[in-house]
Amino acid sequence: MKIRHVKTGIVLGSLIALALASSATGQSMTKLWTSDAVADRQRLMKLNGASWADAQAKLKAGSIEAIAVNAETLALTSTQIPALFPEGSLTDKSKAKPEIWQKWAEFEAAAKNMGVQAEKLRDAARSKDQAATEAVAKEFGRQACGTCHQPFRVPPPQPQQPPAPPQQLQPR
Amino acid sequence: MGLGSQARCLVLALLLLSPALLSESAAAQAPSAAELARGKYMFGATGGCGCHTVPKQPVNAGGRKYDGPFGTVYASNITPDRETGIGGWTDEQIITAIRLGRRPNGERLIPVHPYTVFNGMAADDVKALVAFLRTVPAVKRANQPKKITVPMFESVVLPAWLSAFAPRETPPAAAPTSGVARGEYLVRAVGHCGECHTPRTMTMATDNSRFLGGNPKGPEDSEVPNITPDKATGLTWSEEEIADYLGTGNKPDGDVAGGLMGEVIEGTLAGFKDMTKADRLAIAQYLKTIPAVKNKIGQ
Amino acid sequence: MNLERVRAGALLGSLVALAVVGCAIGTTTTMGSGDPVADRQRLMKNVGANWAEIQSKVKAGNAEAVAVNAEVLSLHAQRITSYFPEGSLSDKSKAKPDIWQKWPEFKAAAKNLENRAGTLRDQAIAKDAAAVTTTVATFGRDACGTCHTPFRVPPPQQPAAPRS
Repeated sequence: MKIRHVKTGIVLGSLIALALASSATGQSMTKLWTSDAVADRQRLMKLNGASWADAQAKLKAGSIEAIAVNAETLALTSTQIPALFPEGSLTDKSKAKPEIWQKWAEFEAAAKNMGVQAEKLRDAARSKDQAATEAVAKEFGRQACGTCHQPFRVPPPQPQQPPAPPQQLQPR
Repeated sequence: MGLGSQARCLVLALLLLSPALLSESAAAQAPSAAELARGKYMFGATGGCGCHTVPKQPVNAGGRKYDGPFGTVYASNITPDRETGIGGWTDEQIITAIRLGRRPNGERLIPVHPYTVFNGMAADDVKALVAFLRTVPAVKRANQPKKITVPMFESVVLPAWLSAFAPRETPPAAAPTSGVARGEYLVRAVGHCGECHTPRTMTMATDNSRFLGGNPKGPEDSEVPNITPDKATGLTWSEEEIADYLGTGNKPDGDVAGGLMGEVIEGTLAGFKDMTKADRLAIAQYLKTIPAVKNKIGQ
Repeated sequence: MNLERVRAGALLGSLVALAVVGCAIGTTTTMGSGDPVADRQRLMKNVGANWAEIQSKVKAGNAEAVAVNAEVLSLHAQRITSYFPEGSLSDKSKAKPDIWQKWPEFKAAAKNLENRAGTLRDQAIAKDAAAVTTTVATFGRDACGTCHTPFRVPPPQQPAAPRS
């Protein structure tokens, strides 16, 4: 049957292409959609929280320029967000809302916005301008994080106990 | 004409003119800038009347959907539009709706709008709030009719429920201005925190014996946290952290408020974030004084 | 077997597969700039800034506070290999061709950073200041040097510590 031959070809071709692609990128194919996207993104988000808390502590202590490293970290992690939300990754453990995939363009835009806000904070901190940094930091939580958490995350049911200092990350 | 008849003319003229004189003096009492500022501040302290605003749509134009055991209602348009909003209502009529839950046509409000709680607001604050409401841009949007599924709900069930079960706040003579008393006023009445944060009894009234103890089945299917000072299941943040949270949404672990709490902190034309530091600290101070309720919400 | 048809199928299949892979890679390797060299240099700069902060915290006697920085290093380390696609050597890049000639070693070096940073983080979370100090004393060589030595052209001048 002619179709059968074509199908065989398709399968063969795909496998070869995939093998070549993965060796070219040096990445095993299973890494692209991580095996536990929920755990990975929760880890990333926890780091975001710790970075932002650290930045606030620095602001309070008057360490303005030191905030830049936290802000840049947040800018970098923001680029990783969309890839951590593959289709079908909603589980019991996840606090993600189905709206993420219903409004994917908005979700992506929100992640991008986080990066833009973080870069704003970073640049203000780099300039060592305390007033400018404070002005950006004042709105940062709501503008950089809230604008996404608002529509796309189920809020945590308990206030986190006890108030966690920035270094309270879960060991893996 | 004798003196007597002239006097009678004068009295008659005065009587005829008096309504005009009185209403003129009422109209002359346009709200001052200070009162409007106070009204806007109160508006923010209630969370920006967000229940009357569909997110991203015009402020106070109504249309937001609420499902309950009674059926479904939609928030009213409370902009000053004369046809579809409250532009044609008098101040007294608006205040009656806010405090007592009655419309000018006698209709009862379903207490999704927590009038028994808003009744705890001081008269001056409500008056200022009304003055501010009249300055919000008018939007033409007809109210969506409610769908009540419980028979005889408005005529029998609701009045009975209100008198038997609904806890009712009463207004102070004057709003407290500082300290724990201020915090209590802002939490119990203005901020109406209990409406979300207090668990409900079987009759769906707030269980004020567990005030602010958290609600596992809150509005829009939310799990609402226990914010009593219970060490194991409640809120253990410092006063400074609580005040900061209300002003920015920032939590001590770097997380940021989202969901409905994020909405009321942000507000609409004003929100919790616009309260003064003193007021936010007063709220925090008050929260530390309420009884600890052991109630674990969520996992 | 009709080879022509098989070939047609193979071509079709490869194109589809590559498109799928291309989309998937596209979302994980670029930081939006589409330029892996620029992106990885930005990442490395942030790694350096976090490492600098770790050192200053330890120096200031605040060893337990390095957890957040160590976690950043651990997470960034996971991304390293994806920023070194075949053929991404350019004038601007300090990467050595050895990376692709000894790919498994390069991968292992990145994994080594990830693991050591994770250990550092856990020591900090456990509030073990002594362990943190010990780890930090050799971290530069053990976690960064093990990759930079074989795989990066050393910078001719030592620039100031990256601030971010």
